[in-house]
Amino acid sequence: MTLATDFRPRHSRLYRLRRAYFASPLTGLVTLLSVAILAWLAWIVLDWTVLQATFDADANQAICAERAGACWSVIANRWRIILFGLYPLDEQWRAGVACAVVALVIVLSCLPLMWRFSRLALVWVLGTAVFYTLMRGGIFGLVPVNEQQWGGLPLTLFIFVATGILGMPLAIGLALMRRSELPVIARVSGWIIDTIRSLPLLAILFTCAIVLPFMLPGFLIGEKLYRVIFGAALFFAAYQAEIIRGGFQGIPRGQEEAAKALGLGYWQRMGKVVLPQAFRLALPATINQFVIAFMETSLVVVVGFMELLAASNTAFRTGEWRFAYIEVYVFISAIYFAFVFGLSRYGAWLEARMSAGQRKD
Amino acid sequence: MDLNTDAIAISDLHKYYGRFHALQGINLTIRKGEKVVVCGPSGSGKSTLIRCINQLEEHDAGDIRVFGTLLDDNVGSIDEIRREVGMVFQHFNLFPHMTVLENCTLAPTLVRKISRAEAEKTAMRFLEKVRIPDQAHKFPGQLSGGQQQRVAIARALCMQPHILLFDEPTSALDPEMIAEVLDVMVSLATEGMTMVCVTHEMGFARKVADRVIFMDKGEIVEEAPPEEFFSAPKNERSKLFLAQVLGH
Repeated sequence: MTLATDFRPRHSRLYRLRRAYFASPLTGLVTLLSVAILAWLAWIVLDWTVLQATFDADANQAICAERAGACWSVIANRWRIILFGLYPLDEQWRAGVACAVVALVIVLSCLPLMWRFSRLALVWVLGTAVFYTLMRGGIFGLVPVNEQQWGGLPLTLFIFVATGILGMPLAIGLALMRRSELPVIARVSGWIIDTIRSLPLLAILFTCAIVLPFMLPGFLIGEKLYRVIFGAALFFAAYQAEIIRGGFQGIPRGQEEAAKALGLGYWQRMGKVVLPQAFRLALPATINQFVIAFMETSLVVVVGFMELLAASNTAFRTGEWRFAYIEVYVFISAIYFAFVFGLSRYGAWLEARMSAGQRKD
Repeated sequence: MDLNTDAIAISDLHKYYGRFHALQGINLTIRKGEKVVVCGPSGSGKSTLIRCINQLEEHDAGDIRVFGTLLDDNVGSIDEIRREVGMVFQHFNLFPHMTVLENCTLAPTLVRKISRAEAEKTAMRFLEKVRIPDQAHKFPGQLSGGQQQRVAIARALCMQPHILLFDEPTSALDPEMIAEVLDVMVSLATEGMTMVCVTHEMGFARKVADRVIFMDKGEIVEEAPPEEFFSAPKNERSKLFLAQVLGH
């Protein structure tokens, strides 16, 4: 048992800083040099993004060129294309609300309060239904908008969330199959995982978008977007299954034996004892996998979808704004950064929360 | 399941690990309410034997009956027996992601379908019995080894089993914590629980066992009441073992 003792550092903060960064003349020099470089970089960024930048929405290339900084006028003029792609201009409020719905689904799914199968299922089914109705239209007097016209942020978020929601249960299924006591099931799962992992994501997306329609009966083909999401989910599941398997391997054998001895059935053992512990162990790698999945949504551009990155590329592909590509990329980088950084912080918070009150023995 | 027959009846039990013959024809009958201590050198098959009783290990030949129910490939019979047979492990095997109370209520609510409130009431009763009700809302990792093992005993008791199996319950404990666990086991024994203990605690065997079973190389070599076993072991291997365990 650890005793809470009144912990008081032996040395002042200043002393510890000096010991860490100025222990010898050489470390002191390195410290000063690093600080100088960082300050210089920070100044360049600040100068370009704010001090010398043009914020006037009506400015054009000539006006922007008079100042050395960023020309944010391009964002003011082209943000609709960047965020919503080819979605019809008059209907873009729907895409905006749909984005908010997906964001809400993500936030809700992240709350430990919601981690019951029934609650998650409710949020996901409801969220998907609202998103689809808003985006696709065709009922409640909403003008129909074909999936091919979806684009920008809502498309990126939808592909990401759908990949996770489909991919995670698939991953759990594959991981459980892989540790099955029946060799046939374990081997089949191993083959599926290894096959998918040995294919590049691009090849899978192409296959789902272009080759699959030739092989499937008509009623199974469905919209290209959903085939692509299915492909991305399979890819996600193969990697995530291996991450979960790593988690399984970190659980002592005695855990499952104790659950068996108490009379718990297979699904009870998995649901209450094995999987919760496997996910705790696999959490850092799982967050990593989600970050990768978010970044990889940009690959759907190759099968003709205008997600965030592709939409941004078109935003400056007009004669007028051709010069301002850096500003556009900085803008969407900030969007990607906000999501991925948020995800990483969330992962760190979860880890801290899970280890609180629990010591590994 | 018939509570009026022998608690455990094992006949001609065999178990192989690959080509290793771990149990070589075990015959053993344990009456209801009897306390049996199983001892023997490591690798003698004593853990394997009790793990066969609740089928953590599958046996390869022979019959095991628990209160008359034959353990066979029928999943139902395994489930039925695991509900009535509790087990305490060497390494406690508490669920680290659940509090002490959740550890104790998990199986009763899931397997016995008892309401949460009632399961918690039962759990607190047994936590009091093992003398750690004040730790109910802590996680296992915050407890000492001895406390964890007492929680593990309470967790097993919460299923209200008719038989308790102990697989070296004190072997992983620091010396100063062994007594607190043995005390709990002794009080259980005096209340009439049927107990099968794999242990090297000869003092405990002397105090509560109705019978001591000595195993070596997958066989039961000797079985006798404790006084007889400790004072006048008949078999050479038992004598050697006792000399090693007690001889220092």
